[in-house]
Amino acid sequence: MPDASVRHRSGRDREAAEHEPAHRRAVGLLLAGGMLAALAVAVAAIPREHAPLSVIARYAMLIALPRWNLTEPVNEIVYGTRGFDTFAETFLLLAAVVSVIVLTRPREPRRGYFGEEAAAARERAAADPAERADEEERLALSAERREQGEEPAGPGTRRPETPDRTPLGVPAPETADAMSIVVRTAIRIALPVLAVAGLYIVAYGFSPGAGFPGGAVMLGVVLLAYAGFGRRRISRVVRPALVEVIELAGGVAITVILLLGLVLEGSFGANWLPLAAPETILSGGVAQAFSASELVEVGTGLIIVIFAVLGMSHDWTPDQPEPDANETDKGADEAREAGTRSEER
Amino acid sequence: MILVNYLAAAAMFCVGLYALLTRRNMIKMVMGLSLMEAASYLFMISLAYRDKSTAPILLDPAGGQTNESLARGNVADPVLQNFCLTAIVIGVAITAVFLSIVVRVAQHYRTLDADRVRELRG
Repeated sequence: MPDASVRHRSGRDREAAEHEPAHRRAVGLLLAGGMLAALAVAVAAIPREHAPLSVIARYAMLIALPRWNLTEPVNEIVYGTRGFDTFAETFLLLAAVVSVIVLTRPREPRRGYFGEEAAAARERAAADPAERADEEERLALSAERREQGEEPAGPGTRRPETPDRTPLGVPAPETADAMSIVVRTAIRIALPVLAVAGLYIVAYGFSPGAGFPGGAVMLGVVLLAYAGFGRRRISRVVRPALVEVIELAGGVAITVILLLGLVLEGSFGANWLPLAAPETILSGGVAQAFSASELVEVGTGLIIVIFAVLGMSHDWTPDQPEPDANETDKGADEAREAGTRSEER
Repeated sequence: MILVNYLAAAAMFCVGLYALLTRRNMIKMVMGLSLMEAASYLFMISLAYRDKSTAPILLDPAGGQTNESLARGNVADPVLQNFCLTAIVIGVAITAVFLSIVVRVAQHYRTLDADRVRELRG
């Protein structure tokens, strides 16, 4: 049966092609190879490890201690010499955060990142009466509610209020809203250490960047809590109304701190705070205040983007081919194509 | 020998570019962009390297140097380290923007395949 085997193989090939869709490999290879050749020629001619430091780098090294009382020149560059650039980058970050908020925004305003789609079910049904749940969606939603303990797990039983209330040694499978007691205990120990370390690298300006890595550490703290204890345990803190206000407060603080330099000292971002001795909390003057505001801005900004993407509502349960829905879909497709054609004309 | 680092960064950038050009799965296209981004971090940090230099930290420098002599001496370039620091944070946020666009496209067109998103074709 040569025909059948050929058909079988071509079917499998097609399946493999769908599994790993790619197109124009040759063109891609040619362009990427050309780019590599161009870059190789370019990097062969640029300064290497024996080149002298750039003027601005040397300048920053020389003024970090005398003018800012900072022992960390990278910090001096981020918040002093290149402070204006950092200011602009902060608003680039803010623009990205706003883009994510706009893109992930559901139809109704919401109070939390998770679970609001269930709260708004009545309004959504009113806005979109044609949308109806199929069997698969009902099953998935029921399983999700069960995982969250909002619904009895079985006849006569009820999930404990928090995963910590689960008696040890219970043979039941782990619920998805929290990890095992081993992970939870490890997180309980690691979390305060991580939070203190994150604040420490901001408070003492000995670490490069201070507010930027500190903000990333704050995101790590929140994500660990989320992964270990589930979304209900952080929902009081991680909610848009609170985090977005803190984020914008950080942005306002940065603007005010830098503008006061213009008002009091005559140049944007100039130091107007008294400098304490090096290696103390207040040693950098304005640089430290800028760095602390940056911690707020970066920490909350990253929390917003991560949780906005994680909590994007599930309004894409696949429209499984229901026999009567096919006709409507085809009709809608045709209507859309007709619309496109008329637009083209 | 830092040229090897430069070339590795260039190669990594081109792997990302190849993924971006040839993949049809939009998640993999975002991964290609992230790879290109990571290549730029490697490139900037490699540019900051100086032969036999120390870290740019003015805190009890080793080898009998004073802070003043270290500031004038052989140190790694702090400006490029600064570029890298801020670029990483911005990169996370930009990747989140890309991913939320991909999720919205997938919700709208019910596919992750860029070729099947027909309405975007010219």
